[in-house]
Parts: sequence; C-alpha cells; structure tokens
Amino acid sequence: MIKKIQSIFLCFALVVTSFVGMGQVATIAIAADFPSKPIEVVTHAGLGGGTDTTARMLLIRTRKNLKNNAYITPKKGDSGNKAMAYVKSKPKDGHTVLAITPTHLFRMARGEAALTIDDFVGVARTTVDPIVIFVNAKSPYKTIEDLIKAGNKKPIKYGGTNVGSVDHISGLIFAREAKTKIAFVPFEGGGAIMTSLVGNQIEAAGLNLDEGKDQLDAGELRVLAVMADQRMAALPDTPTLKEKGINASFATVRGVVVLKGTPQSAIDKLEKGFLKAMKHPVYQNYLQGAGLDSSSVAGSKAWDSEIKSIYKEARAALVSLGLAK
Amino acid sequence: MDIFSNISLILDAKTLALILGSTITGVLIGALPGLSSGMAIALLLPFTIYLEPSQAIAAMAALYCGGTFGGSITAILINAPGAPPAAATAFDGFPMAQKGQAGKALGMAAVSSVVGGVISLMVLITFAPTLARIAYKFGPPEYFALAIFGLSMLASISSKSPVKNLIGGLIGLFVATIGVHLTTGISRFTFGVDELFEGISFVPVLIGLFAMSEILVQASKSELLLERIKFSAIKLPSISEFKSCGKSILRSSGIGTFIGILPAEGGTVSAMIGYNEARRWSKNKENFGKGEIEGVAAPESANNAATGGAMIPTLALGIPGSATTAVILGGFQIHGLRAGPYLFEQQPDLLYTIFYGMLLANFIFLVFGLMGAKIFSRISLIPRGYLWPSVFVFCLVGSYGLSQSMVDVYIMLISGVMGFFLRRYGFSPAPIIMGIVLGELVENSLAQSIIIFDQNIFMFFTRPICLLFFGLTFLSLFYRPIKNLIMKGKKDE
Repeated sequence: MIKKIQSIFLCFALVVTSFVGMGQVATIAIAADFPSKPIEVVTHAGLGGGTDTTARMLLIRTRKNLKNNAYITPKKGDSGNKAMAYVKSKPKDGHTVLAITPTHLFRMARGEAALTIDDFVGVARTTVDPIVIFVNAKSPYKTIEDLIKAGNKKPIKYGGTNVGSVDHISGLIFAREAKTKIAFVPFEGGGAIMTSLVGNQIEAAGLNLDEGKDQLDAGELRVLAVMADQRMAALPDTPTLKEKGINASFATVRGVVVLKGTPQSAIDKLEKGFLKAMKHPVYQNYLQGAGLDSSSVAGSKAWDSEIKSIYKEARAALVSLGLAK
Repeated sequence: MDIFSNISLILDAKTLALILGSTITGVLIGALPGLSSGMAIALLLPFTIYLEPSQAIAAMAALYCGGTFGGSITAILINAPGAPPAAATAFDGFPMAQKGQAGKALGMAAVSSVVGGVISLMVLITFAPTLARIAYKFGPPEYFALAIFGLSMLASISSKSPVKNLIGGLIGLFVATIGVHLTTGISRFTFGVDELFEGISFVPVLIGLFAMSEILVQASKSELLLERIKFSAIKLPSISEFKSCGKSILRSSGIGTFIGILPAEGGTVSAMIGYNEARRWSKNKENFGKGEIEGVAAPESANNAATGGAMIPTLALGIPGSATTAVILGGFQIHGLRAGPYLFEQQPDLLYTIFYGMLLANFIFLVFGLMGAKIFSRISLIPRGYLWPSVFVFCLVGSYGLSQSMVDVYIMLISGVMGFFLRRYGFSPAPIIMGIVLGELVENSLAQSIIIFDQNIFMFFTRPICLLFFGLTFLSLFYRPIKNLIMKGKKDE
C-alpha cells in the first residue's frame, strides 16, 4: 500500500519537474524578433474590476493580431506602485506592458514612486470615461450653479472613491475653481456611492456615467455637469464645467504603456495590434456596454502626450492642495 | 403562470450542458481554498463572448451558485474553508468529520444549501424590484448599526469562554485596521510593505487560522493516539436529522437572503449571523463547535441564500450585491447588456434564463453533493500522515494563487502559527474571523456617517433602521440579565 502511494507520488513529482524544465527552456530561447514570447500585461487591480476586464477584452483580439499569446499579471498594492515596480524590473523589450490609469499618475505625482513620468511611453488609450457630477433627482439643485451656490452656505457632501484618487482630487479642484466648498465622503466603490446618492445620504457625487446610468434613466438621479472639454455623446444636453468657466476636466482614462527604451519597432507592432483589436466588434461592444464609444481609443502619440498632461495637472493640483511637495 | 411557461428557455442541449459544466466547475473551484467563484468567472469572462448573452450570464450565475456550495466540502473535510462564506461551516462541520460523521455533515450541507438557494431564488423572481430598494435605504449609518449588531455576537459565537471570545474579536478588529484608512488616506501598521496598503487579505488569514493551525494541531498529536475513524463516515443524515434542522435552515435562509441584498455585505456575514442565531435558539447550545449538525445546516443555508439575495440588487438595480456579482455585471457589459430596472420590464427572457440557470444549478449540486458526499467523505479516512502534508501544499498554493504574492503566503503562515497557539489556550477562530469581517465595515461606515452627520453622532438616533438594529443589539446583549432579573423579582414576591 505504502509502496504504491510512494510510486504514485514519484510519478507526479516527475511530471511536475519536467513541466518546470520545459518552461525554463522556453525562456532561454529568446529570439531577437518581437514578439518572441508571450506578452505580459501588468494590472494594479483585482480580477473582474474595470481595469482587469478592459485588459482582458483588449487581449482577445490582440492575441490574434500579433499571432502571439498574452496574459495578465495582477500586482496589487500601494495605488499601482507595486505594478510599476514590477514593470521596472523587466527588460525593455516590449514584452511587458503596464495597464495605466489616473491612479498610477496620481501615485507618481505624490512622489517616491517606482517610476517617474519620463520612464515610459504610451502605446494606446483603451477607454476615456469623464467624471460626471450627479445629484439626486429630487434634490433642489437643478443646475451646477445651484450646487455651487448651496456649497457656499454649507459644504456639499460630495461622494467619491478613496482619498487621493481622481474622484477626490477632481472634487477638490472643482470646488476650488468654482469657489465653493465640499465635504468629501469617501466610499469603497462606485456602487456604494450611487446607492448613497439615491438614498439621499450624500448630496452630490462624481461618478463615471456608466455607474449611474440606470438610475439616471429611471429618473432617480440627475446630471449637472461633465468634467470634460467637450460634451459627451451620450449626454448632449449636459454642459461641461469648461463651458461654465470652471477649469476642471478629469476622466477615468485607461491605456497601456511600455518602458522608455523599448525599441520603436516593438512599440509600433504593439500599437498596431492593440488598435486593430479595439476596432473589432468584440471590443466595441464592450465599450458600448460600458456607456462609451469608439472615441475612447487613441494611438501611441496622442496617448503619450495625454498621459504627460494629466500628470502635469495632477502634480499641480496635488501641490496646490498641499497633498504633495 | 409566467414562471413556468418560460422554462423552455433553458431546455436546449447546449444551455443545459453549459449550466451543468459551470455548476460542477463552480463546486470544484469553490472547494479549493484560495480559488473563488468570482476569480473563475473573471478568468472565463473573455471566453463567454462566443456564447449567446443569456447563456453566458446563466453559466456565470450557475458557477456562482456552485462555488458557494463547494466551499463547504473542504471546510468540513480538512478544516480549510474553500471560500470565506464557508468559514462558519467549518466550526461544526470539521468536528463532525473528526467524529466520523463526514458524510452526515456533507449531506446536510448539500441539502441546506439547496433549500437556502431555492428560497432566495423564489424571492428573487417574485419580489426583486421591490426588495432591491432596501439597498437604497442602507447608507453608511445603517451599515454601522448592522455591523454593531454583528459585533454584539462576538462573545457568544463560540462555546468557548465569553472573555476569550471577546479578546479574539478584538484581535480580529485590530487586523482589520491594517492598511490605508478610508477617509484620511493614512496608512497604518503597514511597515512599508506595499502589499499591506490595501489591508490584510482575508483569504490567507482564513486558510492560516483554520487549515494551517489544524495541521500543527494534528502534527502535535502523538501517532499512537491515531484512531481510524469508523466506516460510518460515509453515512448520510437521516430524515429526523433533517427535520430537527428545519427551523434553523428556514431562519438562515431568511437571514441570508436579506443580508445578501445589502451590497456591502454578503455570504460570509450571513453565514456567521445564521450560525449564531441557530446557536442562540438551539436546544443543544453546548454542542455547538463540537460537531452539532445544526451548526452545519445554518451557515450553509445562509450563505447560499445570500447568493440569490446578492443577485437581487445586481439584476434589479445594476448594483453588485457581492464581489462575484460585480464580475457577473462585467459579463453584462461585455455582451453590451445592461442590468437594472429595465431588465425586468424589457428583457424578461434574459431574467428567466438566469433564474432557471441558478435554480438548475442548485439541483445539480444537490445531486452532485449527495452522491459526492459518499465519495468525498472517504477523504476523512485517509491516514493523517498522508492527508495533512497534502493539505499543507493546498494552503501554500491557495494563499499564493489569490494575487500571486509571497506576502500572502507569509500572512497565511503567521496566522497559522498564531491560530495554533490561540487554540491551545482555548480561543476559537470564530470571533477572530467575525472581527476581521466586520472590522472594516464598522470603521468605514462610522467614519462616513460622521461626515454625513456633520460630526454629530447623535444623529444616528434619528434613523429608524439604525434604531431597530441598536435595539436588536441591546436585546442580544442584555436579554439574559434582564430575564434573570425579572425571574428573580418574581421569586422575591
């Protein structure tokens, strides 16, 4: 009996070690050509979240376009810093791609992050989701001016995700630029913010359109303004803050970047593969399901300069709010 | 009736096969510590684009049902809850397996899971649009009151000494404070370890406190004492045993459905409260924690009821009722669908497919669970020297696999050693788990409430739901002393 179990165990051990061996052989045989091994996309968030799902949807067709495998490695921790540190440790050959969001940019702007803004190059933008100011449909605030006026009497209870996030900073900048006051109430996620707004626990919130769309359609919420330079296609009648003379444009943008120093030919191939994947109905359908459209997608050049300008604004905002030196 | 005429929606070979496959995958993944149904759905999401939308969502929902049940199998057999909601099942399930009643525990888990699941699904299909609005009534202050009610059970949740239970609860609450504070953004007790910024992950602690500490306990027993458990281990529960648990199962199904609806809470808290209430109202109070079959029935029906409950706000409002339903909502997005009020009005077919998918999943795992109970229960007959070392491998892989981080493995090992010593000195893991689960909620909801109330904490008493939970908390704490006082007063007269 014991002998039998021992032999089974030995067989198992043999199989396992042979698999491990194979993996090593594969990594040794790196060719100069790109892509010569599977592409690793590093995310900072958990499975099933927005960043994770966007990356997965992006990869479905990218695999076909690059005729290469691709997989996702989640590296959670310290607002994306863990993911940045991991990417930094990898060779600059284009096989490691970082899925970047404002969370990373704000983390960098706070200082002492693993990467600085000059350490990477944008490859493609995957989604743009402007922050929309919502209030309860039964609230007395019919326009953004009403809200601003009310805030001057008593700070508006304004919901958003955690402190230091794009929700938080955009709320503070809005208040400063509009010369009003908010009391920021942080929540664990968009769902909790939305329920609290419908339940009249808070007075206003900065949400992505998708997070409040159902309640907006059902007549429980009202939109006052969009934090963007142009009106959203889905909300043609809602003014932007810019139109109102308030300089606060913020969005949950997502995209992919690689380390600076990656050969341009690899970046070009990646960009082509990603862009083609995002044109495919698989990805377009996903965008539509999230209340967005094809204007979300942008190429390397546009995305790279956008990241830099978001970073610059984030940095200026954090310094002016006293949250970074 | 509408409900029955729509059953044809799932009656084609492909859909049935998908639901069957997803349910069994769910049970197996749920059974493995560290792998959760939410994770499995997230990984399978991209592949569902090749399916019809309604089939894809039904398959995901079936996987969710199976996964919640699956957690109980390993909780009972090797004291390693396959998923957090099964933690409370281990309290009595594992002692039962140790006594040679693994089959009974597994059988009871399967049946009570199905009852809980089916009841919550019936509630889902009949009252979802109305009940979902409960989610709106619960703001931070209400969650705070609910969490306080939950914490009032700390002293009584295990039959160990109440003082030790309270100390255990405080340890749990302390662990929950590790990480960045929600409203101030200040990091606490992280000692510069990046992985700790988002708090201690719950699963490694769970695996450590239960399975890892059990390995140490088993290792410290002298081999001479090894008693081979009798072959009766594969026996299923009798009808009278089912009957004796009926009340607990029904009560827990109600608790689970209600708590499942609340977006901030789910299966884990439902199972804990279901377990505690079963203990409170049981005739065999002393037997809880030592292998009481009601202690398996109650948490299992509660956590499976919570799956149906969690689908209520998910489908009716588009607000995820739990981590897994958040991923299912992602599935809606991938197919260009929207959950929410108009799902009920405009796409009843999709809704019924999901409903039947989940219903069918419940019956599949009932059959699978009962048949499997006879096979799985044999695991409890494996000699200790072979069983526990392999459990150790499970513990390592399970805690690493979650987010592929070694820090989680260290957390698991540390909680294993701590759990071993705590158990040695008469502490139960139950209040510790409860403290961790509720710690974050109680802290965050209090901080949010204080901002909402303009720093005036007396505002809590202006909220009816808060008052209700505060009242329940008061009763739960002082029911016995008051009763004793009245009895004494009567005697004096």
